[in-house]
Amino acid sequence: MQTFTDIVRYRFVLENLVAKNLKALYRNMALGFFWSILNPLIMAVVLTAVQLKFFGARHDWPSMFLCALIPYNFFSYCLSGCAYSVTGNASLVTKVRFPRQILPVSVVLTNLVHFVIQSSLVVAALVFFGPVDPVTHAEIGVVGWQLLWLPVIVLLNIGLSLGLGLLVAGANVVYRDVQYTVESVMTVMFWLCPLVYDAGFELTKDGAAKGATYWLYFSNPLSALLDSYRRVLYHGTAPDLGVMALCVVITALLGVWGVRTFWKYEGRFADLL
Amino acid sequence: MATAIRFENVGKRFMVAHQRPFLAKELVRLVLQKPSTKDEFWALRGVNFEIGTGESVAILGTNGSGKSTTLALVAQTTTPTEGKVIVNGRIGPLLELGAGFHPDLTGYENIYLNASLLGLSRREVDAKLEKIIEYAGIGTFIDAPIQTYSTGMKARLGFSVIAHIDPDILLLDEVLAVGDGQFAQKCEATIRNFQKAGKTLCFVSHSPTQVMALCERAIWLYGGRVQAMGEASMVCERYQRFLDTGDLGAAPMAS
Repeated sequence: MQTFTDIVRYRFVLENLVAKNLKALYRNMALGFFWSILNPLIMAVVLTAVQLKFFGARHDWPSMFLCALIPYNFFSYCLSGCAYSVTGNASLVTKVRFPRQILPVSVVLTNLVHFVIQSSLVVAALVFFGPVDPVTHAEIGVVGWQLLWLPVIVLLNIGLSLGLGLLVAGANVVYRDVQYTVESVMTVMFWLCPLVYDAGFELTKDGAAKGATYWLYFSNPLSALLDSYRRVLYHGTAPDLGVMALCVVITALLGVWGVRTFWKYEGRFADLL
Repeated sequence: MATAIRFENVGKRFMVAHQRPFLAKELVRLVLQKPSTKDEFWALRGVNFEIGTGESVAILGTNGSGKSTTLALVAQTTTPTEGKVIVNGRIGPLLELGAGFHPDLTGYENIYLNASLLGLSRREVDAKLEKIIEYAGIGTFIDAPIQTYSTGMKARLGFSVIAHIDPDILLLDEVLAVGDGQFAQKCEATIRNFQKAGKTLCFVSHSPTQVMALCERAIWLYGGRVQAMGEASMVCERYQRFLDTGDLGAAPMAS
């Protein structure tokens, strides 16, 4: 509980850290904040071209891809940022006493700003490359009540990023291997999670039952989240409630693990840096 | 006299790994339940002292004597392995040159970042901002990124923030050497005002001259233990003799 009251008490520090992260990132660049959008945009353009040319994708592929890519980016940036958040601020951690959890929390908040900015790409994709029904090729209207799920999914996404963020932030102080492990794991996740393919749709195609493969696949909370985003934004349906429930449980467990690990090492941060 | 800082039989142990722990190797070690191969090293052991509110005390010692560890314990960025550290009041640590400053942010933005980390609220920073800028005396550079600053300018800005956060206990770590003569004088005047206001000063140094100028009492650390403690002139004299001849003098005081 103290974790959170400390954050409230130090919110001015948090504000300044987030402002620092945002300003420092793009200050010396001619394109500034535009980079935040440019990176996923290039990714989407290139992959769309490949998909259309070689994999026979439909023209709504960008909207399918982007509504998973942007949340994936948020999670990925959070994790790699958190891994460096304590070790990269060694001079502060060893000199000033302030709640250390502010460092990973500031990373998550910073990336939340990028997430909001990048979300404009999802909206643009949904407008210009509107989803079509794979069978009838009729346009699917995605504006509906199922969008009310979005805040829940975003909150889960933030929770997962923060929980695992605390884990890697703390663990990286003891084992610097963690920061490289995070990079590798996120590369694997790009292909393992439903980004360039629609796993939720493929695994239940033609009325196939949700078997062991389905549940094993979606026991990965990131896959569960990306699929939920996609169902709500691209398929215009509610997320799979079973998958969501599983995601909540696993996110909570990972969160507890993350908070515990962080506090286990927190007292030794200054000695280890 | 109220206590500002008290060390009760304080010991700080560091585990010295001769190699950084390697994850795979560590995992194998954990599975096989083998003991760790790290050596222990006591940076401080059995240290007792008390600094009263309003006192100015120097901590003297050569490199590796435990000065920085003592400072870290006072700043409460680390905890003692054994014993107890009691600190009463807001601490004003002096960040190393440029530490806590982000090179890409302007001086102005860095003031906010730095002051908030040291515990000031937005209202307090807003109120003191002009004074901080004026005191630092870096002119229009306040709107330029810190990376364009000279070392001296960074130090001036850093000291200016510390001087205005109004700490109860000021920790100083060899700062007076930086900045030009004029600014050094200003620093010293600020420290004197601070002393007059009844605040506590904890000054870490290995220069007896500076210690004599600022402090009435001194603690000499040697090998993580208190070698001498008492009136600044007496401790400095013994310390100087040690520097000149290697003579440690009387045995460490029983504590």
